[in-house]
Amino acid sequence: MPSATILIVCLVLFSAAVIGVLAARPGFTAGRGGKILAFVAMFCLPVFCGLLGFSSEMQRSKTTAFCLSCHTMGDYGKSLLVDDPTHLPASHYQNHRVPVDQACYSCHTQYAMFGGLKVKAYGLKHVFIYYLGTPPAPQDIKLYEPYNNRECLHCHLGARSFEEGVVHNADPATLPAIKSNQLSCLSSGCHDTAHDIAHLKGAKFWEKGS
Amino acid sequence: MLSTSQFEKRLRFAGICLAVGLLIEALCLMWATPIAFIVFVAMGGLLIAVGLAVYLYSVVSTSVAGD
Repeated sequence: MPSATILIVCLVLFSAAVIGVLAARPGFTAGRGGKILAFVAMFCLPVFCGLLGFSSEMQRSKTTAFCLSCHTMGDYGKSLLVDDPTHLPASHYQNHRVPVDQACYSCHTQYAMFGGLKVKAYGLKHVFIYYLGTPPAPQDIKLYEPYNNRECLHCHLGARSFEEGVVHNADPATLPAIKSNQLSCLSSGCHDTAHDIAHLKGAKFWEKGS
Repeated sequence: MLSTSQFEKRLRFAGICLAVGLLIEALCLMWATPIAFIVFVAMGGLLIAVGLAVYLYSVVSTSVAGD
């Protein structure tokens, strides 16, 4: 457990203990000092602990381990270790083009206003379906909407390999079409091998990565 | 007028809600699974919100009664 989480847990337990004492002995709050103590313990501390805990949980929900803790995502996790540079997620993960501990979130968030909240709402829906509904087979999982180039351009825009790439500049219309999301990075015969879990059984894997 | 025992009852109820809510949050922080996130928000968050609301209501109603 990260040390920051341990500190938050200690603070939360301390707050619960102080509140427990006040709940057991409400007479302590009769005086002026007691009233101030009650306000700090029963309003300021719970709000502070709640916000800290929520922030910690949100950070944890972005981790690769969190996403892959659901059985349904197992094959998607394996696809990050495919030993083939044409596999887009695998090449990003293995070459640290995305943070390894936030690999899923880095590509599957939306780099727009409230994009992070929107994908977290999707995540909550996934958890509900996982525990209370019937989760689809891994190969049947589809994106809610076509993958937007905005997510790729968040990192690649301005990069020399992107801006001066031979294929990107072979036609002067290509680069503007990519930047305006008219020509998809993924579905235009260019970087179109994503997780490809249907063919995972016959794939070769990068052993050091596991 | 709000009697002292009524204020204490509300304070005790708020305290129990807050303490239980915080204990649930502490457990969820140590339990790193997706279901913990749901329990954290749905149960811990709800109990803390109820506890805060009851506490604030008891403080405000005491002030009004004292005026």
